[in-house]
Amino acid sequence: MKPLADFHAGDTFELTREADRYRPVYYAAVSGDFNPIHIDPEIGRAAGFPGAILQGMCTMAWLADACSAYLGDPARVKRLRVRFSRPVVVGDVVTFRGRCVAVEGPVVRLEVEARNQRGEEVLRGATAEGWVEAV
Amino acid sequence: MAIDPRHVGRRYGPFRNTVCAERIQAFALAVSGGVPGYFGSAGGEPHPYSVDEEAARRSPHGALVAPPTFGVTFAMTAFALACSDPELGLDLLRLLHAGQEFEHGAPVRPGDVLTTEGEIVEVHSKGSLDFMTVRTETVNQAGERVLVARWGAVIRT
Repeated sequence: MKPLADFHAGDTFELTREADRYRPVYYAAVSGDFNPIHIDPEIGRAAGFPGAILQGMCTMAWLADACSAYLGDPARVKRLRVRFSRPVVVGDVVTFRGRCVAVEGPVVRLEVEARNQRGEEVLRGATAEGWVEAV
Repeated sequence: MAIDPRHVGRRYGPFRNTVCAERIQAFALAVSGGVPGYFGSAGGEPHPYSVDEEAARRSPHGALVAPPTFGVTFAMTAFALACSDPELGLDLLRLLHAGQEFEHGAPVRPGDVLTTEGEIVEVHSKGSLDFMTVRTETVNQAGERVLVARWGAVIRT
């Protein structure tokens, strides 16, 4: 696994994921979040959206995937924080652009931008902390 | 109508949850763009430590580990119950998940028996918006803390 010495402030990483038509249903199946706003386009419209909206936690899971890939181990992710600033709707493609802002002892601090295909921010202030044991 | 601050301190749980390998794998697969279930297919690239038992066995963990947001499967119940609690009377059509924080402790592995408790820790109003935060804490069968999470809702009143 990638050692602590290989993490540097200024490192960047990127991940793109698509909210394809059935993603909210698949995510509901594995997460248990069957809130109708996520799986029924009519309910989504009644709530003022163009249709069903993706679970925010799925967007956050994508963020976690981006950080896990960079850190080399999902169990190295020790902290995640996001604000959901704009719903992700079916058809959206979200690009996560992450940056290592500091390495302090074993703690690797990350900041991540998440934007849809129109360049609009879907997460605000997304930060993560990795904990990388020195070997 | 603003949420009544007297609801702060309202508790939900404890909830018990047994973690199984298949659920960790299905979660990682669905999140990475795959299709879970009988007609399943691989999607993007889920981290091998969460899907590939052989790679996980050779890892420092010795077994599969759950992805960082897997906590939704065992800790979200408290938040969902608060959001739909008749005592609070929130309009679910006007409620959105506003923010989320996870603080991870021990890794979550297949076979873990987890216990989660939740509590409404904050409510406030700003203009036409109401905010509510539920804090959950989850421990495993060894008493180790695996997750502290803060689940934030916003209600457009």
